Amino acid sequence: MIFIAIFSKIPSNHIDNYILYVTSGLIFWFFFSNVTNQAVGSIIGSSGLIKSINIPVVFFPLSEIISELFNFILTIMVFLVVMHWFGISYSFRMFLIIPCMLLFAIFSFGVTILLSSINVFFRDVGILWGTIQPALFYMTPIGYREDLVSPLISRYNPIYYFIKLGRTIFHDPQAPTMDLWINCICIAAGMYLLGAVVFNSLKNQFISTI
Amino acid sequence: MSAENLISFKNVTVCYWQNNMGIHSIKDLVTTRRNPFQSKAILKNITFNVARGESLGVLGRNGSGKSTLLRTIAGVVAPKEGTVEINGSFAPILAIGAGLEPELNGYENMELLLSLYGKARKNTNSIQNIIDFSELSDEALRMPAKRYSSGMVARLAFSISIANEADILIIDEVLAVGDHGFQMKCMEKIYKIKEEGKSIIFVSHSPGEVLKICDTAILLDNGQLIEQGKASDICEKYENLFLKH
Repeated sequence: MIFIAIFSKIPSNHIDNYILYVTSGLIFWFFFSNVTNQAVGSIIGSSGLIKSINIPVVFFPLSEIISELFNFILTIMVFLVVMHWFGISYSFRMFLIIPCMLLFAIFSFGVTILLSSINVFFRDVGILWGTIQPALFYMTPIGYREDLVSPLISRYNPIYYFIKLGRTIFHDPQAPTMDLWINCICIAAGMYLLGAVVFNSLKNQFISTI
Repeated sequence: MSAENLISFKNVTVCYWQNNMGIHSIKDLVTTRRNPFQSKAILKNITFNVARGESLGVLGRNGSGKSTLLRTIAGVVAPKEGTVEINGSFAPILAIGAGLEPELNGYENMELLLSLYGKARKNTNSIQNIIDFSELSDEALRMPAKRYSSGMVARLAFSISIANEADILIIDEVLAVGDHGFQMKCMEKIYKIKEEGKSIIFVSHSPGEVLKICDTAILLDNGQLIEQGKASDICEKYENLFLKH
């Protein structure tokens, strides 16, 4: 509502179907934000189980991703109904949202295992992440046009690529470019690898700290 | 008693990171710019075997590595060196509060732990057995576990552990917190489990309890296995440890 009331009135921020534009960005953002916020303390929060049962620790952040992925799917289904209400017709191309969601989930999983494993040793990671998120949110063109954000910022903001991919699938008459897909695949794989390397190197020592 | 080893430890060393500098935040790490973690051996070169049907007592002073040894048996902790072989299934480590999720109520904890051990989550027989053995009321089982007294936690945790019908029961000083009636009931159940030919790994500071339950025992001191043998001999040596100090 704040976006619609304020950002849509800025003359330089004219966007056709502004409500759809901002909602499609927010769907992706809320998935990422909810997953990371809930998962950052998931290992510490399950210390009782981890200390007494031989269970892969990765299940705890993974369970957060899976539960939020269900919400993500439901939200996208509601969004598709709203899209139709705004006069946008359905096409087979919209099925591309499935790989797009999976790539974003892999990227988010990489972030969650990275944050949750470091948070075991340094308990202010969750607090720091809470302060980084608003900056990341405003650096991502969710409520305003892409050209209002510095290209340099967009280029190094991984979430921008996933939101752009999702929006292209939903709204644009053109299909997403191969470059955009490759960027998203590389970012998701890179983030997952980084998270997995850090998580695997720390996981044997969780028990000494939790 | 079969000679087959249920548990086999060969030269096992387990190391933990210890943070002796009090650095627990990124802010402190950035300002001090020093690695706060040092690796410390908690178990050093431990070798022992437990035969199928044998019950082993683990004795030692506070901080000697008893709980770490149990966690290594349960596969919760990976050894840095050496090999651990387990030829059977084991119930969750029965330590005070261990395994129970504080935010979940008694029923939810039962379902969670049963499902984690491959039992059907809604296995009504197992759930009824747990309720019967724990003697906790329906009202108590509907409360979150964080509101339980230590005795109630011990009742529920013990009842869930024995419901798993595993080959190895691991008990870490948990019986001390239940009331006398429940302690006696637990001891009776432990004898029955022994008679069924299952193994018990029992950590206690009470040599009397170890003698009642265990055939053999090991004595740990500062992460090292200093004695192993018949439970009566090891209990005597354990008591002598305190006479020296």
